[in-house]
Amino acid sequence: MAPDPQAAPAPADTVDLHALCADAGVFELLDGLDRELVGLAPVKTRIREIAALLAVDRARALLGLDARPPSLHMCFTGNPGTGKTTVALRMAAVLHRLGYVRKGHLVAVTRDDLVGQYIGHTAPKTREALKKAMGGVLFIDEAYYLYRPENERDYGQEAIEILLQVMENQRDDLVVILAGYKDRMDTFFRSNPGMSSRIAHHIDFPDYSADELAAIANLMLEAMHYRLAPDAQGVLREYIVRRMARPHFANARSIRNALDRARLRQASRLFDASGQRVGRDALVTIDAADLLASRVFRKREDSAAQS
Amino acid sequence: MNAPDEAVQAGAKKRYAAGVLKYRQMGYWQPDYEPKATDLICLFRITPQDGVDAEEAAAAVAGESSTATWTVVWTDLLTACDSYRAKAYRVDPVPNTGPGTSTPQQYFAYVAYDLILFEEGSIANLTASLIGNVFSFKPLKACRLEDIRIPVAYVKTFKGPPTGIVVERERLDKYGRPLLGATMKPKLGLSGRNYGRVVYEGLVGGLDFTKDDENINSQPFMHWRDRFLFGMEAVNRAQAATGEQKGHYLNVTAATMEDMYERADFAKELGSCIVMIDLVVGWTAIQSMSNWARRNDMILHMHRAGHGTYTRQKNHGVSFRVIAKWLRLAGVDHLHAGTAVGKLEGDPMTVQGYYNVCREACTKEDLSRGLFFEQDWADLRRVMPVASGGIHAGQMHQLLTLFGDDVVLQFGGGTIGHPAGIQAGATANRVALEAMVKARNEGRDIAAEGPGLLAAAGRWCTPLAQALDTWKDVSFNYASTDTPDFVATATASA
Amino acid sequence: MRITQGTFSFLPDLTDEEIRAQIQYAIDQGWACSVEHTDDPHPRNTYWEMFGLPMFGLRDAAGVMVEVSACRKAFPRHYIKVNAFDSTRGIESIRLSFIVNRPPEEPGFALVRQENDGRRIRYTTAAYSAQKPSGSRY
Repeated sequence: MAPDPQAAPAPADTVDLHALCADAGVFELLDGLDRELVGLAPVKTRIREIAALLAVDRARALLGLDARPPSLHMCFTGNPGTGKTTVALRMAAVLHRLGYVRKGHLVAVTRDDLVGQYIGHTAPKTREALKKAMGGVLFIDEAYYLYRPENERDYGQEAIEILLQVMENQRDDLVVILAGYKDRMDTFFRSNPGMSSRIAHHIDFPDYSADELAAIANLMLEAMHYRLAPDAQGVLREYIVRRMARPHFANARSIRNALDRARLRQASRLFDASGQRVGRDALVTIDAADLLASRVFRKREDSAAQS
Repeated sequence: MNAPDEAVQAGAKKRYAAGVLKYRQMGYWQPDYEPKATDLICLFRITPQDGVDAEEAAAAVAGESSTATWTVVWTDLLTACDSYRAKAYRVDPVPNTGPGTSTPQQYFAYVAYDLILFEEGSIANLTASLIGNVFSFKPLKACRLEDIRIPVAYVKTFKGPPTGIVVERERLDKYGRPLLGATMKPKLGLSGRNYGRVVYEGLVGGLDFTKDDENINSQPFMHWRDRFLFGMEAVNRAQAATGEQKGHYLNVTAATMEDMYERADFAKELGSCIVMIDLVVGWTAIQSMSNWARRNDMILHMHRAGHGTYTRQKNHGVSFRVIAKWLRLAGVDHLHAGTAVGKLEGDPMTVQGYYNVCREACTKEDLSRGLFFEQDWADLRRVMPVASGGIHAGQMHQLLTLFGDDVVLQFGGGTIGHPAGIQAGATANRVALEAMVKARNEGRDIAAEGPGLLAAAGRWCTPLAQALDTWKDVSFNYASTDTPDFVATATASA
Repeated sequence: MRITQGTFSFLPDLTDEEIRAQIQYAIDQGWACSVEHTDDPHPRNTYWEMFGLPMFGLRDAAGVMVEVSACRKAFPRHYIKVNAFDSTRGIESIRLSFIVNRPPEEPGFALVRQENDGRRIRYTTAAYSAQKPSGSRY
């Protein structure tokens, strides 16, 4: 991949790193990431670091230095709804812009897409998923489910073997990103040191803060052409705090669900209000009442309740 | 129901009283008529005589190609004559004609015909109806059937091409590139054995097909049976020598249908995969041979012999695009449709229009290519166009750019006239073609880089280098007589 | 001799880079690539052995090259070709097909002539290699 340094037209043996990135449109991508994703500060930093590393690698290659393709495989850990898939998509675009993957698409799979139910079923399944992802990124969610040592008839190990081989030998065809809960991934890596050694970048996705989730909620509403009534903002914040304390909280995903339910309540409210025609304002506004109706605000706790 | 011209409403009594009425008064001009999806629509380019107004001329065309005669007849009343009448419903002046130009004023006249007027599956009937009468009509100085919209309801009554592009490729196992052919030269005079030699050399050198010329039928210098026997020996020899399927279009054109069947059956007996007929055998024979080809798993090659007598002049005759439509319905698999850059008439845009008629599942309206109607082919198989006449390997990039992959490129003189022999000529063409296809697939701009790519291939393929050298200055640049009336204007989005 | 089947057989054997470029072209057109092999190269042999199923939904040629390499490894002495299939209505057939591997020697074909009535001859194209059973031909 390295062109002959003697053929390079630059008089001095230098490369302009910023120009390299600017030309590839990398800065727009990273700025877009900053704008469109709330919070995730450590993640964004990491991504910029990785982009810089790749740019430097590119520069080194241009000057004829060590041109072995860097390992790009990554692991994203964190709770559900913290933006792992979204960031993986952006990462694929960054890798494409810098020329590390040829097409820049993302193929998202789980264990069921890779592992078969009977003997001989797994290898073709895994290979098919890999082939579809070549030229781009293979995103394996909850990758630790591939490894089920307690079941000796489990075919997950076969899938792992194939993945390991491709991750090592076809680094310029494909980038693999594993994702899941941090503690389970740690266990998985301890039992599969081969996999661990092939991962170049570990990025942890922290849970969002309540303020960040409120910002996300507002962004989501804006995208759907809704907005909160002024007095509802405070209620939203309160809702989030209470909801975070309850079980099965999935960060942004839970916020999305909550907003959907609020829209349901708004619709019922508007519908039940007798005899009036509804205008734009009424149709786009979510009132405090629509949020307060949530179970989260009830004094009585239901054991399985969340809403 | 569409309201006819007011003159007719003067009462049936007046309409059918004896005497001579203008055609438009007889109901053949109906400007408010909305053609039905089941109507057949013809576009005539008419040059009315001086003093004849355009609408009357259009109405006359509609009348004389359907039910009318020059005087009123009471027997009209025995029919539901309103539905049998063709309706001229639109007349547009043709751009760049009339005062201030060198061409007398022409008009495009649109005429709609009810489905009931046509016999199912019969091109003979279709043509007899549309062009059987009106072209000799005195009130018109000139008349050309420019284009035709055949309703799906009528398309579906035809069987169409017996093989079609896809099945032809599957039978020959040849994909991804144009097919290559050559017509035997000299046109006339070779005896059977000598003819077979030329076939063998061309095929073994790399062509897919070789071809009888249109006037090779059965003459004193070569009886058809000898040509068939020696030809098939050559085809089979070449196939064994190369390991790929080969064919020679055996011309079965003859004086009578019975003779044609005899020749075609012999071709089949000898194992040919393809036979050929000339346009001059007529529509009835063409449909018979199409049915025969289907029954006998033969590819049917159509040579458009004689078409130039009526397709070439813009003001009078039948446009070749109409002929191509009729032939697709009648059912041919190969059709000579023009080269645009060779020795025979054909402006590039017009020729691409003919190719679209042959090859598309639904030919789109495209005035810049002379296509005035959208033509839905109701899943009729597609015809492989043939580009033949004065083309050579040095034009391969232009031919591929103009015509794409689904075409037969025929290099008669361009193979047999090669200085190092026929095999060399064939190899030069095949190498040029494959190199060009490979480069195009790789994303090269072959229209611009063509000559360079050919020269590069010539460096390792001597026959190609020789061919390029021999014919590098050959081109046929004469003004075309039949160009489109409408030019695509560049838009901001282009 | 050299069998001239496939789209590019009059050109020098394609390098892996060139094969990849053709496969990428096919993928970019939306065609599904498949790998087939045979030791019976008769021109009328339509059905070569499939090496895996046609690959739908790929974006990059690398996946197909994996199969090509695997087929070459498994059948180094067979003819191997790559087909590109177009499932568009009205086509539903192969759009590109080219050879990516040949046996080290290609003995070619004999033309067997069976004399018939009059001057007729029945021709058969017979592969020299087909005289041996499948699996031991090349």
